[in-house]
Amino acid sequence: MAWIYLILAGAFEVVGVNGMNLVNKKKSIVSFLTLIIGFAASFILLALAMKSLPMGLAYAVWTGIGTIGGTLVGMLFYGDPKDWKRIAFIGIIIAAVVGLKLTT
Amino acid sequence: MNKEWMKVLIAAVFEVFWVIGLKHADDVWAWIGTLIAIAVSFYLMIMAGKTLPVGTVYAVFVGLGTAGTVIADILFFGESFNLPKIGLIALLLIGVVGLKLVTKEQEEVSS
Repeated sequence: MAWIYLILAGAFEVVGVNGMNLVNKKKSIVSFLTLIIGFAASFILLALAMKSLPMGLAYAVWTGIGTIGGTLVGMLFYGDPKDWKRIAFIGIIIAAVVGLKLTT
Repeated sequence: MNKEWMKVLIAAVFEVFWVIGLKHADDVWAWIGTLIAIAVSFYLMIMAGKTLPVGTVYAVFVGLGTAGTVIADILFFGESFNLPKIGLIALLLIGVVGLKLVTKEQEEVSS
């Protein structure tokens, strides 16, 4: 069950990042609600997952899903540049963050 | 360092404040400060996302926030200081600086 919470937490983080894109496109109630509900649900589910999973592991998985998902959403739906250098550097950041979360 | 990247950097500084707040806040004022820090960091990140790609902004925000939190833990909360941690922070900074450099190239090409 904790893993389901964790994966849902990552999914809602992507919803939140999508909300950031929406707010920049069009300042509407729906855009702001997507942003706020996305991140709020994500934090609550992460907290639930951390009740039974180790904190570092939960954080690492959550960050990984959210950042990769957020990058993909930007590239696929909002016209963010898709060059390989950008993908490589985002990959380096994610690898380092996951490593740090696992070791601390 | 242009204005948009400055916003991401300051957003990450506020992220470090609220992560510390979530962990250590124990009275009403500390919690209010934590909530203000969350609001400021998200506001700056959204503003930066107007001109920079949102996926990039978010990756840098998470990356710098993580590095800052680990460094704050070492400096102020007695976390252990070891070589792998420093290596990972260095790797992370390479990723952030690299991402900034390629993003700048993109802006110049498109403008």
